[in-house]
Amino acid sequence: MKRTTAHRLTSFGVLVVLAALWQLASILMPYESVPGEPMIPGWQILVTRTFLSLADYWQGGLGVPSVAQGGPRTYAGAALAVLSNSWDTSLRLFTGLTLGVAVGLVAGLAVSWSKWSRRIVALPAQIIRTFPMLALIPMFQLWFGATFLGMALFVAFAVGVIFFTGTVNAVGNVSDIHVDYARTQGASRIQIYRSVILPAMFPELRSSILLSLGTAWTAVIAAEFLGAQTGLGQIIVFAQYFGYVGRMFLVALFLLFYAAITYALFERASRRLTEWMPRELATPDRYGAP
Amino acid sequence: MAEVELRNVGQFFRRSGGALVEAVADVSLVIRSHEFVCLIGPSGCGKTTLLQLVAGLTPASQGQISVDGAAIAGPSPERGLVFQRDSVFPWMRTIDNVSYGLKCRGVEKTKRIEIARQYLRQVGLGDVERSWPRELSGGMLKRVAVATVFANSPRVLLMDEPFAALDYVTKLQLHQLLLTLWEQHRPTVLFVTHDVDEAMLLADRIVVMKEGRVVDDRKITLARRRTVESLALPEAVAHKEVLLRHLGLGELVQDRTAPL
Repeated sequence: MKRTTAHRLTSFGVLVVLAALWQLASILMPYESVPGEPMIPGWQILVTRTFLSLADYWQGGLGVPSVAQGGPRTYAGAALAVLSNSWDTSLRLFTGLTLGVAVGLVAGLAVSWSKWSRRIVALPAQIIRTFPMLALIPMFQLWFGATFLGMALFVAFAVGVIFFTGTVNAVGNVSDIHVDYARTQGASRIQIYRSVILPAMFPELRSSILLSLGTAWTAVIAAEFLGAQTGLGQIIVFAQYFGYVGRMFLVALFLLFYAAITYALFERASRRLTEWMPRELATPDRYGAP
Repeated sequence: MAEVELRNVGQFFRRSGGALVEAVADVSLVIRSHEFVCLIGPSGCGKTTLLQLVAGLTPASQGQISVDGAAIAGPSPERGLVFQRDSVFPWMRTIDNVSYGLKCRGVEKTKRIEIARQYLRQVGLGDVERSWPRELSGGMLKRVAVATVFANSPRVLLMDEPFAALDYVTKLQLHQLLLTLWEQHRPTVLFVTHDVDEAMLLADRIVVMKEGRVVDDRKITLARRRTVESLALPEAVAHKEVLLRHLGLGELVQDRTAPL
């Protein structure tokens, strides 16, 4: 059996075991958060009653009336609710992510232009990076309100800080010999950045990108906790008000699924971009993310 | 024409403790057009520092370096450099590495690929132009570096112990390859080495450095291409004995009374 197939089967096996443990916990601990709402809902409840209840978040349209308008809870309504709220969350996430990556990368490269600017920003950047991100949410709310812009900017800030420090560090670790080699061949500074610094720093930047993806999902959900009218974070908040543990868990599973897809897509793109690297260094599951 | 002139060149560094180190001290040297000069000396004598100054990678603390009378101001593809360590870009395929300098200078794609292919064929790597550097051996990577530097048509070729890490056979093969390319294109060469045999095989002239200063400068008039036999001639042996004594290996020389 190929190594990758064995690896995938093992991972799948672990997921099955975790799901079974959840089911076991639901049987062994039959407590309720509010009457009629189990604290640990089993899978038979999650995929039926709990999923159907998500239809409450469908605003109506496409031939499926909303529950608030007197329509019944249907699987179609639930699916549309999940899709529309996921779309809203994803839009905030990817707008913020794109903005944060762009600003963080450009600012990081600009600062890395000279040793002096690197020295000047090194300490402030470290301080900003350690600042508790969630403590900034109320501030962003006051500045921008519970708007698309405010939430996207919050994600951009969280991602941008990681990307900025990651870029500065990665540029600092690019081998001088490659820069000198390019200089002796007549490369201009811009050409050196484009053809030497960027590809050379990418392997090191991969860990920052993975961290940014995780942070972006956390940041967008956290931003939606406070006052958003749509989005997966908003469903979790409402579910918490009424003690609907099942809904919270189900939405968390959807988030897990989306995050896994973004990681997988990045890994695929990353494999192409690191095709030049020795395989043992480019395979993160063997030596950790290089 | 590419005559390199160094006039009273010095380079100082400040150690972390604050002490001033004189890596190169008052070096004056003229390397004539098309000449193949080997710079030899013990480790830490300032050979590599001097080469980097000529490459323009670092400005000299004092003195002036010029090529054909024009003071150098930074690196230039006219002064190609082959590094000791692997400098080939691992993220570019072989052909892209060789054509990189041409691309930087705006040479049209078809033309630069044609030039790169020509040099890859000359160094015996015509069949690996689409390979990644990770797929090549150490000797092949050096061939890529040599092809790259020649593709840029340098007037001055600077080489910093380029073959030091290679096995004996590969090193001898690369010597022959380098001499072939040099004979065809005739750039002025400054080749840093601490290998006396390598210097005797390649050089028109051997310059010896010690503690940042030039302490010997000798012409090697042996006919080219040099062979095992020509390197065993009395003239070659006499040069080698002196060079070994400069390197602190006097115990290998039978006649200890021979003047330096």
